[in-house]
Amino acid sequence: MKTINNNLRLFWQGTVLSYVALFAWFRPVTYIASKILMPLAQMIFFTFLGSYASGGSNVDFYVIGNAIQITAVSGIFGVTMSIGGDRWAGTLAYLFGTPANRMMMFFGRAFMHVIDGAFGVVIALTWGALLFGVDFSQTNLSALGLTILVTTISTCGLGLLMGCLSLITANVMFVNNTVYFLLLIFSGANIAIDTLPNWMQAFSQILPLTRGIASARILIAGGSFAEVVPLLTSEAGIGIIYGWLGYFLFKWFEVQAKRKGSLETV
Amino acid sequence: MNIIEVQNLKRVYRATNGVIRRTTKEIVAVDDLSFDIKEGELFGLLGPNGAGKTTSVKVLATLLIPDAGQVRVKGLDIVKDANEVRKEIGFIFGGERGLYWRLSGNDNLRYFASLYHVAPEISKKRIPYLLELVGLKGRGDERVQGYSRGMKQRLHVARTLLHDPDILFLDEPTIGLDPVGAREFRDVIRNLQSEKKTILLTTHYMFEADSLSDRVAVIDKGLIVALDTPSALKKHVRDLSVVEIETFGIAPNVVEEIRKLPFVDSLSTREQDHRQILHVQTERGAEAVPDLMASLEGMRVGRVTVREPTLEDAYVRLVGGKA
Ligand SMILES: Nc1ncnc2c1ncn2[C@@H]1O[C@H](COP(=O)(O)OP(=O)(O)OP(=O)(O)O)[C@@H](O)[C@H]1O
Ligand SMILES: [Mg+2]
Repeated sequence: MKTINNNLRLFWQGTVLSYVALFAWFRPVTYIASKILMPLAQMIFFTFLGSYASGGSNVDFYVIGNAIQITAVSGIFGVTMSIGGDRWAGTLAYLFGTPANRMMMFFGRAFMHVIDGAFGVVIALTWGALLFGVDFSQTNLSALGLTILVTTISTCGLGLLMGCLSLITANVMFVNNTVYFLLLIFSGANIAIDTLPNWMQAFSQILPLTRGIASARILIAGGSFAEVVPLLTSEAGIGIIYGWLGYFLFKWFEVQAKRKGSLETV
Repeated sequence: MNIIEVQNLKRVYRATNGVIRRTTKEIVAVDDLSFDIKEGELFGLLGPNGAGKTTSVKVLATLLIPDAGQVRVKGLDIVKDANEVRKEIGFIFGGERGLYWRLSGNDNLRYFASLYHVAPEISKKRIPYLLELVGLKGRGDERVQGYSRGMKQRLHVARTLLHDPDILFLDEPTIGLDPVGAREFRDVIRNLQSEKKTILLTTHYMFEADSLSDRVAVIDKGLIVALDTPSALKKHVRDLSVVEIETFGIAPNVVEEIRKLPFVDSLSTREQDHRQILHVQTERGAEAVPDLMASLEGMRVGRVTVREPTLEDAYVRLVGGKA
């Protein structure tokens, strides 16, 4: 019992400290800007653009899609920084020299971003209610909460994989921006998936977010929890697959680095 | 008892170049190293740039897989039992990188304590103790960003002591420190010696190796060229006693005459504001002084000193330079 308790405390400590240590936006002003203003800007931009182009009848579609999509800011950019940041800090050799459990170390890096990302979605949905009149009166709120959480976790799963790529390649920001952009298009946040060509639909199906956004739209429109269970299960499954791919890449990276001597220490 | 055993260690780096025509270049960083370190010993590892010191330390610290040979730490194999070895060792690579600059000194230590599975109630007491040990008392709450280079290097020492390892690998820990900082840092190392830590130290400062090490290995091109106590190594160059004579306005022909004296091994002069310092290397040591003074008859002569060969003289001879 005591060791479990200790392990939990260690996990928590490591999680919070690595979040502060490696996440560049953790300054109050930039944090507030990234949490409150950027989602607002994205929502206003796409909602006006989308409803203007489509005749203005489906504001909810854009507001909900973009609000859920906001989780990718934490899930993709945040998590990538938390995994790849050690490369810039020169801490990799010191990390890999510890006996720490690599799985805890790896997934622990994403933990705070899950909380952070979910919080961002809640703020964005609040903007949606206040500014665009999205109506939550018919919504099963706990099911919506679960949807937000699951979607955030699965997006962080992709982020973990991207983070490992950033350990290996140099051009991370370019890759991240591309992924974020692809999610904007293919997750169904701004373009209804059934209007896309078949191959693009297939691509949508292997991305996180797609089913989470669909689920949120159903729930806010008054759908039942039972209706979204299959969506959420698949969404979680996709996230777990990306997360594990990331973890295997992380292990592979460590082994390779020990073989090749590519852990920069100086 | 030997706490560290290195047998026929070899490590080669393979660098690939080119995209279409891939060429692989092999660099033998460590060729064939064997040495043992006794419990509680401070073992100095010296050698010129590129000799393979850092590579050896990385292998010992489980960060690099050897190509051949065996390394045991407390009887554990550094490849097969890497995770067990990590609990027994601490290591630092000189320089100020490798810390989270955004975090305070305390938080850096708390983070690494969690990675070393140090229970929070233990680290709560240990962190202030370690900060005091390395001379950072009262500075733990500040962000590392604002630390001086010396402070960061001290924090690295505290970091590597969190789990109280018996064995420490210190790769050029005093690099880039000012003389006072480096001296204080050596006091920290002496503290660790008195705590019965076994230490492997690499350095380019010979007096540092001389004053701290119990034994020294000099390596070059990945091979050991000498391994002994500092005083025994100095005996290799006993014939190289140096007589230093301060003169004022000595004529070049006099210098040439001294150079021709039979007991003078070699002579060099150094100009220093209106003075010329003669460095005479001779087998005769102090006995050569009267004869040298006779040659300088009638000239103004300042301080005369005879010094023992230093570890540096021995080192320079061993790795093939000219003193
Ligand atoms: N990651 C690497 N990839 C390729 N070659 C390397 C790598 N690291 C070191 N080397 C080469 O291996 C040799 C030994 O390097 P090492 O860093 O061990 O030397 P060192 O004794 O620590 O030198 P210094 O005193 O300059 O720190 C050098 O020729 C170096 O260029
Ligand atoms: Mg080195």
